[in-house]
Amino acid sequence: MNTRRFARTAGWLALPCLIAAGLLAWYVTREPASPFEQEQATTFDPALVSRGEYVARLGDCVACHSLAGKAPFAGGLEMATPLGAIHATNITPDPDVGIGAYSLADFDRAVRQGVAPGGRRLYPAMPYPSYVKLSDDDVRALYAFFMKGVQPASEPNIPSAIPWPLNMRWPIALWNGVFAPTTTYAAKPGQDALWNRGAYIVQGPGHCGSCHTPRGLAFNEKALDETGAPFLAGALLDGWYAPSLRQDHNTGLGRWSEPQIVQFLKTGRNQHAVVYGSMTEAFNNSTQFMADDDLAAIARYLKSLPGDPQRDGAPWQYQTAATDARPGAHLYATRCASCHGLDGKGQPDWMPPLAGATSALAKEAASAINITLNGSQRIVAAGVPDAYRMPAFREQLSDTEIAQVLTYMRSTWGNAGGAVDAKDVSKLRGHTDPASSSPIILHMR
Amino acid sequence: MELRINQKAYQVEADADTPLLWVIRDDLGMTGTKYGCGLAQCGACSVLVDGNVVRACVTPVAAVAGREITTIEAIEADDVGKRVVAAWVEHQVAQCGYCQSGQVMAATALLKHTPAPTPAQIDAAMVNLCRCGTYNAIHTAMDDLAKQERAL
Repeated sequence: MNTRRFARTAGWLALPCLIAAGLLAWYVTREPASPFEQEQATTFDPALVSRGEYVARLGDCVACHSLAGKAPFAGGLEMATPLGAIHATNITPDPDVGIGAYSLADFDRAVRQGVAPGGRRLYPAMPYPSYVKLSDDDVRALYAFFMKGVQPASEPNIPSAIPWPLNMRWPIALWNGVFAPTTTYAAKPGQDALWNRGAYIVQGPGHCGSCHTPRGLAFNEKALDETGAPFLAGALLDGWYAPSLRQDHNTGLGRWSEPQIVQFLKTGRNQHAVVYGSMTEAFNNSTQFMADDDLAAIARYLKSLPGDPQRDGAPWQYQTAATDARPGAHLYATRCASCHGLDGKGQPDWMPPLAGATSALAKEAASAINITLNGSQRIVAAGVPDAYRMPAFREQLSDTEIAQVLTYMRSTWGNAGGAVDAKDVSKLRGHTDPASSSPIILHMR
Repeated sequence: MELRINQKAYQVEADADTPLLWVIRDDLGMTGTKYGCGLAQCGACSVLVDGNVVRACVTPVAAVAGREITTIEAIEADDVGKRVVAAWVEHQVAQCGYCQSGQVMAATALLKHTPAPTPAQIDAAMVNLCRCGTYNAIHTAMDDLAKQERAL
């Protein structure tokens, strides 16, 4: 091959490469279209602002974008990713560090597409693959709330600790291309208005799947609506097991009626369970503020998701405990029975039963271990803190003792979650130790 | 709601989730039952409900409406309780005494279920905490009561 022919061939090859690179560069930095491009919102009707506040409650924005003791929505929650820590940003209307300079279209692109002004991609820790389902009306209301209903705060954003080149944002656009849907929720024909409203809240603002849907290798939720069997099928994250919200008899909501689901989301408790773990925050900040109609809609929708008997195992049935000489039985009697009952039936609705509890039936023991080590967070329902709280046994019981008592709890009264290994207790003890250097990894939610 | 405490009926007005301990102490003025940890961990608040020992700080009052509650104030009206108190006095169990009303309730409940407990059964059941460290005295008093029972 002579030099000229080589140059010509190389040229022919380089051209498509250049074009592809150009297209790629355009694709990964472009600002996607927004239906609000032509809309200049400058005055805000108070009713719209208050509607937006409600949407912010549905979406639980405060969970990540606020820290206790700091101004609301001033950002700051640290999320450790495998690459390094990132921090939720200031979303108050401060024009410099917040989103005060955002147009409605900018705001829309950030919330529903995960794209900040200038084309910078947000990390999918921001649940835009769920928020994309938000209706135009709700986005408009949310914008009004963040512009007029939130006090500007000049809390600076904390730069991410992810090192170059991993901190480049453009590859996220490719991730989005594969995993993030681009369309808002469309009512499903053949289902009534209540079901559709429930589906909208669960899939969209509520972003329930962020915790309750298992994730794939690329941290993508394996399904984003009821058409995928993994949707809300239960997932392990942040040292908790977020149980199935499908009709699984043991590990899901199979035994819960619609009114019981509503009661749980409204008051934080029902005869089956009391909120704990990450759900406490979701309850304290979000679900209890939802309108009764919306809670009924959520319940209707969740009750329509079929369970998977194969994954769930043989249906649980209460069995009276036999005399038991295992050390866990004595630990249970002295440490747990005052509240949860020697018979494991608890004191509903105040202290939950352990007989038939998800944490006693799921194969994953993370939630049972975590709450035994660290206790429960304060549940504040209608402004009143709870009267009864699970104490932390971190300083009182050894890894072996916790494994013994949980093994007893998970293999008595018909419970079939199985034995707990002291090594798993030890691991979670380390990860949830406030003084630990390897703290629990908060995933996207 | 109506509570039956020490063979007497009391009308109380309380939220369903109010801990029994607050009703007994604050509303009804029976302060022999003590507040310790509030987390069912120490046993200072032990009372008997239908003869079983429960920790009043984690017992929603609605759960015990209509059941027979016994507090330390009336423990000597019970045959077993009377023997326990006598043994406690004989062995001079108490030091500061703060936990002892709970200890007496736990001891009474154990002897009602197991009149002559073995030392191992005593250790397994008497798990209330005592900051003075009267555990040995408690064990001796209980052992004595068990021996009296066996001698009968």
